[in-house]
Amino acid sequence: MIEDIISLTSQALVAMIPLLLASVGEIVTERSGVVNIGLEGILILSAFISSLVTFSTNDPYLGLLAGALSGLSAGLLHGFISVYLRGDQIIAGVGFNTFAYGISILGLINTWGHHGASPMVSKIPFFGAPLYISPLLPIALIIAITCWFWLFRTSSGLRLRACGEDPRAAEAMGVNVLRMRFLATVLGATLTGIGGAYIVVGWIGQFTRHISAGRGFIALAIVALSGWNPALSIAGSFIFGFFDAISLYLPVKIQLINPGLNLTSLSYVFRIIPYLGVLIIVSFFFRRGRAPRDLGRPYIKE
Amino acid sequence: MKLVEMRGITKVYPDGVVALKGVDFEVSEGEIHGLLGENGAGKTTLMRILYGEIKQTSGEIIFSGKAVSFKGPWDSMRSGISMVYQKFSLVPTISVIENFYLYLSSFQRGVGIEEVRRRAEEMMERLKFRVPLEANVEDLAVGVQQRVEIIKVLLSKPKLIIFDEPTSVLTPIESRELFRTLRELKEDGITIIFITHKLKEVKEITDRVTILRKGERVGTYETPSVSEEELAIMMVGRGIVPTKRSVSSPGREVMRVEDLWVRDDRGLNAVKGVSFELHEGEILGIAGVQGNGQLELAEALAGVRRAERGRIIMDGRDITDLPAEARYREGLAYIPDSRAVGLVLEMNLMENSILTSLRDFLGRGGRIIWPLASDRAREVIERFNIVGSLRSQVKYLSGGNQQRLLVGREIIKAPKVLIVSEPTQGLDVAATEFIRSTLLKFREEGRSIILISSDLDEIFELCDRIAVIYEGKFVGIGRNEDLTLERLGLLMGGVNA
Amino acid sequence: MRKIVLEVSLSIILSFLIGYIMLILMGYDATRVFSIVIREGLSNPTYLMMRSTPLILTALAFSIPSSVGVFNIGGEGQFYLGALASLIIAYTTGNSLLSTITGMAAGGLLSALIAVIKVKRGVNEVVTSIMFNWMIYFSLLYLISTYLFDPLMPYQSVSVPKNARIEYLTIQSVSIPMIFPIAVLTSLAMYFLMYHSALGYRMRVVGISPKAARYAGFDPESSIIISMIIGGAMSGLGGSLLILGHTHTIDSTMSGLYGMGFAGIGAGLLGRNNPIGIIFSSIFLSMLLIGGEAAELRARVPTELADTLIGMIVIVLSAPYIVRILRVRR
Repeated sequence: MIEDIISLTSQALVAMIPLLLASVGEIVTERSGVVNIGLEGILILSAFISSLVTFSTNDPYLGLLAGALSGLSAGLLHGFISVYLRGDQIIAGVGFNTFAYGISILGLINTWGHHGASPMVSKIPFFGAPLYISPLLPIALIIAITCWFWLFRTSSGLRLRACGEDPRAAEAMGVNVLRMRFLATVLGATLTGIGGAYIVVGWIGQFTRHISAGRGFIALAIVALSGWNPALSIAGSFIFGFFDAISLYLPVKIQLINPGLNLTSLSYVFRIIPYLGVLIIVSFFFRRGRAPRDLGRPYIKE
Repeated sequence: MKLVEMRGITKVYPDGVVALKGVDFEVSEGEIHGLLGENGAGKTTLMRILYGEIKQTSGEIIFSGKAVSFKGPWDSMRSGISMVYQKFSLVPTISVIENFYLYLSSFQRGVGIEEVRRRAEEMMERLKFRVPLEANVEDLAVGVQQRVEIIKVLLSKPKLIIFDEPTSVLTPIESRELFRTLRELKEDGITIIFITHKLKEVKEITDRVTILRKGERVGTYETPSVSEEELAIMMVGRGIVPTKRSVSSPGREVMRVEDLWVRDDRGLNAVKGVSFELHEGEILGIAGVQGNGQLELAEALAGVRRAERGRIIMDGRDITDLPAEARYREGLAYIPDSRAVGLVLEMNLMENSILTSLRDFLGRGGRIIWPLASDRAREVIERFNIVGSLRSQVKYLSGGNQQRLLVGREIIKAPKVLIVSEPTQGLDVAATEFIRSTLLKFREEGRSIILISSDLDEIFELCDRIAVIYEGKFVGIGRNEDLTLERLGLLMGGVNA
Repeated sequence: MRKIVLEVSLSIILSFLIGYIMLILMGYDATRVFSIVIREGLSNPTYLMMRSTPLILTALAFSIPSSVGVFNIGGEGQFYLGALASLIIAYTTGNSLLSTITGMAAGGLLSALIAVIKVKRGVNEVVTSIMFNWMIYFSLLYLISTYLFDPLMPYQSVSVPKNARIEYLTIQSVSIPMIFPIAVLTSLAMYFLMYHSALGYRMRVVGISPKAARYAGFDPESSIIISMIIGGAMSGLGGSLLILGHTHTIDSTMSGLYGMGFAGIGAGLLGRNNPIGIIFSSIFLSMLLIGGEAAELRARVPTELADTLIGMIVIVLSAPYIVRILRVRR
């Protein structure tokens, strides 16, 4: 029993990392007033690029860097469209998700000729048995706490928040709203890119067709549930990481007890758990009115 | 010494509108200089150019002896120019002290919050009024918010402060307090530009005044040397003719409101037990500074907002539980104070003209009969002199035309009771006169109007009876002939003399 | 109108350009690929009509709520649910009409649920929609592999019986799959609803300005819920028509269903959220999808090329000011 809990917890701690990075990044972006629905696409794209780089160089850390750069590029695109072109942020994000999915699978097939998954790549080692902790976990936690401190305890964080609350007033107070929103979008996307790369080089070990499976949207839910507070998103990411872990763990456990059942079909049912969890928690625990006032609205100067 | 010199300022917008035509404007150091003009004359535009928010099409600006070309407000702020807008530049969802912190950190990177607090306290001492530093700005009354804005602006030790129609959100008493503050600032050597369209204010507070009309400068004068009448003529180009209101003989009761209680969007009571009657052929005015419950009262009467308690009876029928659409069908009409609410700006004129009487244009099965709608639209355009075509999007119409559309659409339905809020806010004199005479004509036909306005001149010009609303209650109600401006002003400020 | 044509053309041209460059970078003969896509896409009008049908409906599923200001990203899940419900009813009763109605109801119920959560709890519909999409996806995979599979062909579900299928109509040697005119008529009905009925007028006002809507006495909440129910019903109908008139079965990987909802978003945007424009944009995108499949067979280019192109089109269309900026530069 204890080993089960330890095993589940260590799984959860791994699963929470991409969720934490993406949600903290998105909190920064949304606090400035921009909503990036394209997190899912960024996760897929950076997962692919990092698997490609890691495969070619055999260096998972370079893969991580490649993931960050993919996220950065995606952030530049989304930032440009949302902030400078005053485009519809939700549509741009949805379009990006489809685009990123398409281009990643194209890349997958083109590089390795396989439709489902890439070959295994080198991974970042864990430490600290029996709770296998990835080195990226403390890093992600530090990033989350730093962002919390920055947003709520420094003047530049205040300026960023002002952009998301009332950009006209912020502009009148000397804040360059457009630039701040753009940079916030790029930063958020970069963090998400690191998260996506991590799924490959720190966790699954390969790029697969459904590598993200909605995690980008779970991150969005975590952003809202945490009240746009990076410190609280740590808890949210852990909870959903735990759901993730359970959904993979339970079918294996049940199969052990009852070997007659078909594993593949059964695992489908349990895959529902994380999404159902998000839905229930979000429906019952979300309180409106805490979102940044100007979220999602393009800032148009006269 | 000339602090500000603007030479030959012209501003033409991309859609062809000429806002300013070769305007020269100069301000001497240490004076309070009034900038007078009716709505749309270009006063705010000229100042926004000085402040760096908008770029002029041609012309130059010299500030403190140096030619300048500000790239944005923060640029001009660093040179010592500040502007206090009608709509304050405060972030409403954070606290007062955070707003100060935000503002000061644009000037001095690395200033600490304790330093900000110290300077704020110092300023409040100097000005002899306090504001709650920890409260969120949106929770404060408008008059207090303006004080926060003033303190904020002073924190950066500006040389010049531009005030844009500051008294439009204040009671007469608060306005007097503001003028006292302005005089204190002048004593400290700060130069002030005071934008207004109110002649009395020009005479009361300014040293010199520049008059703008239709984007051109008419003249600059020492304030004591011009009379209000002369200023009025220069502002409008002709004498302002007040609308003639015939003495009324009100008929039977058409509406009765009993003990109405209404909550605002935040759940607080905005209307606290209002009762009154309205008669046929009467205009009842509700005077008061915006934010005292007028919006909630108007919306509750129209059915757009639910009342907590109380009854509304129109023509003998209890309409308290009727939703808005049903009330409109019963003969009630409502013209809200914001054109963005009363009109659907993205839709065209024809689509807008059926907004509040949709049922009249439906055929079998809920089908819209568009030819009927276009007939109605053409009627409104003709009767109310609107410049615009059926298919043009309403957002491209001028403010005056939009207001004519809004007012016309409601009046053409010939409602029994018309509730209208701030009908001439932001309009030029021609449109204002038109709308006011339209309302009077409507009353002469035996209909009834509830007029909500923060403009006391308008109230006196149009209303037969006047009520004053203060903090959600009627604090005085009487006939026009029995009331004076002073008494109204006191009542609006909460003083029950 | 000019502006719309310009926007649409620009987005298509831009995305084709980027697709072209990408193909070259990956080592394909880009020109050959594009010519295959366009040629094969248009070569079989009957097949084109058949493929366009579900797309027209998923496009409506996005566009109608979009006019009310709601983003129905859940079209994917509503589509699956409609297909599933239709399949079950068709299999058990053999009645195509009942099957269609059930499909619509299933889709509509799901989207109604999403709308209620949005309106009553304030939860953004994008997140809840995606959660439902994935939940239904996995549920469907489970059901097909355990209960609904065809014992003779276990890699797919049971089939719609012959008497419940929606067949063709042959006019002058052109075979028209009847599901296509059903979709077109539905689209025209939606056009009429949005622009010539009181309900459509109210919904559009809510979408533009909820404050003006409240002033006029229209209830934004009910408009949101109604538009979502219609949207879900559209998507459900799409799934229904696909099953009854095209594939007649759901295969165990759901490859025939996957992505229809999202492609519908692209078609809706490309059609500028106008039901009549949607008919054309759906045909165009179906051409890309069919052509993309042919390109896979002939030139070994994966079908995900179509996803990439569609995604790019959507991204470009999200920025309305692109056209304005280009005009001002001149």
